[in-house]
Amino acid sequence: MIRNYLKTAWRNIVNNKFYATINVAGLTVGLVVGIFMLLWVQDELSFDKANTNADKIYKVGIVGGTGISKQIFNNIIAPVATFAKSEVPEVKDAVRIMALGDAPFKYKDKVFIEPDFAFVDPSYFTVFDFPLIKGDKRHPFQDNSSVVITASTAKKYFGDEDPIGKVVMMGQDQQAKVTGVIADYPANSSFKYHIMMPTSMYNYQGYVKNKRTYDNKSFVSSMDGDWSQFGFQTYLLLKSDVNMAALEKKLQAIHERNKPEDAPVPYLTQPLLQMHLYKADGTDGGFSTVRTFGIVALMILIIACINYVNLSTARSMLRAKEVSMRKIIGADKFQLFMQFMVETAFLFVISAVFAFVLMFVLLPYFNQFSGKQITFSLTNYNIWLCIVATLLGTLAASSIYPAILLSSFEPLKALKGKVTVGIGNVAFRRILVVTQFAVSIVLIIGTLVIGNQLKFIRNKNLGYDKENIISVSMRQDMKDHFEVVKNELLKNPGVLAITRAGRNIVTDGSSTGDSDWDGKPANSNMWFNQIYADKDLIPFFKMKITEGSNFKGVVADSAHFLINETAVKEMGLKDPVGKRLRVQTITGTIIGVVKDFHFNTIHKKIEPAVFQYNPNYCWNLYIKTTGKDAQKAIASTQGLWKQYNNDVPFTYAFLDETYAKLYTTEQKQGSLFNLFSAIAIVISCLGLFGLATYSAQVKTREIGIRKVLGASVGKIIALLASEFMVLIIIAIVIAMPLAWFAMQGWLQDFAYKINITWGVFIIASVGATLIALATISIQSIKAALANPVKSLKNE
Amino acid sequence: MIKITNLEKFYRTEEVETIALNKLTMEVNTGEFVAIMGPSGCGKSTLLNILGMLDDPDEGSYMFNGIEIAHFNERKRADLRKHNIGFVFQSFNLIDELTVFENVELPLIYTGVSSADRVKRVEEVLDKMQIMHRRNHYPQQLSGGQQQRVAIARAVVNKPKLILADEPTGNLDSSNGNDVMELLTDLNEQGTTIIMVTHSEHDARYSHRIIRLLDGQTVMENIMV
Ligand SMILES: Nc1ncnc2c1ncn2[C@@H]1O[C@H](COP(=O)(O)OP(=O)(O)OP(=O)(O)O)[C@@H](O)[C@H]1O
Ligand SMILES: [Mg+2]
Repeated sequence: MIRNYLKTAWRNIVNNKFYATINVAGLTVGLVVGIFMLLWVQDELSFDKANTNADKIYKVGIVGGTGISKQIFNNIIAPVATFAKSEVPEVKDAVRIMALGDAPFKYKDKVFIEPDFAFVDPSYFTVFDFPLIKGDKRHPFQDNSSVVITASTAKKYFGDEDPIGKVVMMGQDQQAKVTGVIADYPANSSFKYHIMMPTSMYNYQGYVKNKRTYDNKSFVSSMDGDWSQFGFQTYLLLKSDVNMAALEKKLQAIHERNKPEDAPVPYLTQPLLQMHLYKADGTDGGFSTVRTFGIVALMILIIACINYVNLSTARSMLRAKEVSMRKIIGADKFQLFMQFMVETAFLFVISAVFAFVLMFVLLPYFNQFSGKQITFSLTNYNIWLCIVATLLGTLAASSIYPAILLSSFEPLKALKGKVTVGIGNVAFRRILVVTQFAVSIVLIIGTLVIGNQLKFIRNKNLGYDKENIISVSMRQDMKDHFEVVKNELLKNPGVLAITRAGRNIVTDGSSTGDSDWDGKPANSNMWFNQIYADKDLIPFFKMKITEGSNFKGVVADSAHFLINETAVKEMGLKDPVGKRLRVQTITGTIIGVVKDFHFNTIHKKIEPAVFQYNPNYCWNLYIKTTGKDAQKAIASTQGLWKQYNNDVPFTYAFLDETYAKLYTTEQKQGSLFNLFSAIAIVISCLGLFGLATYSAQVKTREIGIRKVLGASVGKIIALLASEFMVLIIIAIVIAMPLAWFAMQGWLQDFAYKINITWGVFIIASVGATLIALATISIQSIKAALANPVKSLKNE
Repeated sequence: MIKITNLEKFYRTEEVETIALNKLTMEVNTGEFVAIMGPSGCGKSTLLNILGMLDDPDEGSYMFNGIEIAHFNERKRADLRKHNIGFVFQSFNLIDELTVFENVELPLIYTGVSSADRVKRVEEVLDKMQIMHRRNHYPQQLSGGQQQRVAIARAVVNKPKLILADEPTGNLDSSNGNDVMELLTDLNEQGTTIIMVTHSEHDARYSHRIIRLLDGQTVMENIMV
């Protein structure tokens, strides 16, 4: 039986190469894109799931600040974990991670800057599934100067030699002995630390060896006694069925008991499994993008299925005679149903084979484009599950309706050529075409809106100048010789100005809630973004002082503050200049107000900021060049770097590129959407082309008669095209509000955004209409020009 | 074998109602060869389709082998049909995508005959219809007479008790037409009941009995001698 089905299926394809090609092409493209996108979605959703305890691990955060400065701190103080473990019964274990990043490590003559360096608690290796593959599992660190590395890091430093017991140099003088190796992290792990030392080492360096005087009132002798330094990612491994709200209260109580002046300091927990796609407060942190991509993937698959359904039901009219005869001869409904299912499945297998070949070829590009590391290895169960589910789902969606339709033809009527299903069926096909185009148009509008917002970001006046600026993160020696470095660099004719700051101007930096000022409202818990500066920073970045004056570069400036306009507003100050302000240990005077500028991504509203004059904390060197002399400036900076920090490789960045990198996600979304809408429209047009061909075929006789009766070619084209143009117009009408809502949602994520204008809708509509019209016209013109005598004979 | 009483069939369109069969009563016995004649539009095909269970009557009774089937649903009718009835049409209605062999084999596939048995039985009928040498040709490659022989082969391969033929010679020249009539006569002599619609008095003479219809009613029965 099956053999017979397959034989018929094959002959059907061979006899109708045109339809088969359109169907296979549409399905193949749809499958490739759909599966790739679903793989991406699946990968995004799988983050950190590999951990056995994943559902019992929570990250601890603190809510700080009020008003516009309200924010969540993911890095908290060290003692909370220790207290929680001993005092809170729900807590089984705790892990702290202090990621410092960019630590220089040396082994023999190899030097690496390790961005993924961190101090971790030994529990890091057991709470998470990061067991040691070499070394003593129970004691990952033997002492303070032990280090655990990943397998690939071991390879990088030691080649094929046994890494255990090898000693690397951290920085200038700290020895670190490798006592453990863990497997490389899976690509879908949120944790990517490749070199880890124990937190006890951090404690030794920061509190024992060098007494920390950060807390103004007393010297702190251990990190577990330091209630001021927010720097530890803290994860708790909990027992089952924990009341999270109660737990948060307990953590808050611990904090407030030990540091009453911080009260109230609400605590917050976030499930490990939500970390990748949600922000700490549970708001969207990427999930909506994943959802959008998932929906778009399904839409593209649906469009591809619609093509198949449309074409095969259209053709079913031509097969009515065959189906009737089979019934009369004795086929029952189920047998016919199976026959058509097999036919679809057959075409599907062909498409799937093509799709696999294409995916295999395109996988490296996909990985590069998406930043994933997906491989089609046989062991990756999830990937195959995703692929098989997509194939089966698509197969079911495109096979069942045509099979039911065809198998339920009434044999007699079909035999006489009076297929009454025709009419209802045509309406159904129209709905499908409208759906296809509506989806395509939504995607086109999406592409345009994303493009416009990206342009808006690029051209937005940030309130400071970021063009032709090179930034270099100095190390100790160079920083201590800043004046010499500055003078050397300024000798370079391409270098226009030099300044330094405590943070990278375009991104997040440190902030503090430890502040006080004249007239501070009792309930205010406002946080300042801290910007350490020297006197050249404001003019260098062409920022504006709206009131008061800039730093003068004198010693007294260390007790002077500049604040931004938002800070003035949030602090509730009338005449800020001259007012007293304390920030952490420094009490001084506000000497000026800086016009607001975007020191963060424009996803965020501008927050309060304070400029503090403290050249000693200014690790960032900024060099303004003429642009064309940038390379020379870099070369001479590198020369100076070698002079001071020869042990560490020289790195630099262009500020405008750093800024652009803040929006790589959006940029990627933009180009992906370009691609998706192009593919959606191509698949839809394939289907439309097929339908137009069919329609012209069916109407060959009608066209012939009309021509004999004297209709012009133009009139006939209009007759054929108008049928489809109505559908496109309906699609446009449906697509516009959908796209508006969807894109409004996307823009929600930006504090500063464009308005969606009519222009976007018009461009998308006209574009889609023209493409559709062109597609239909090819067939219509052919039909209209055909010799009527021939087409009449054909019948 | 067949006994219909007061059979009625209407066709309703938006404006008109056509009475295709009007209280028709007739009987056909096992082993008979009956010809149905009458002017165009008198309801011959309608009657044949109801007898063949492709269509159901609106009123009246249809006993087939002693079972009342007028109100059978489609599935039951289909089941009864595939084991008992073979069809031959004026326009052959072979399936273009299948070869001669496959066309004839199809009814056996649908009734679930094993593959080895199928080959044997198909070859047997093709032999009998003298079309064996064309077994691997497609219908388009055959003459009208050959196509009709294939269609008859397909109708009889399942050894049906009843063959319904709607103007089987209508598209054939007289020599091919006579061949087809000989084949039907042979089948009838081997025990198959045959009901044939025809416009040709010549063809009707092959039958035992002629039923003449007018406006959906029997007007006359001629017994052939
Ligand atoms: N599907 C239908 N809808 C409406 N009327 C129909 C339908 N089928 C048949 N009729 C009508 O029923 C009547 C009988 O038709 P039928 O096909 O049985 O005639 P016939 O005797 O076979 O004619 P012919 O010799 O031309 O084949 C005719 O008047 C025809 O118009
Ligand atoms: Mg007729």
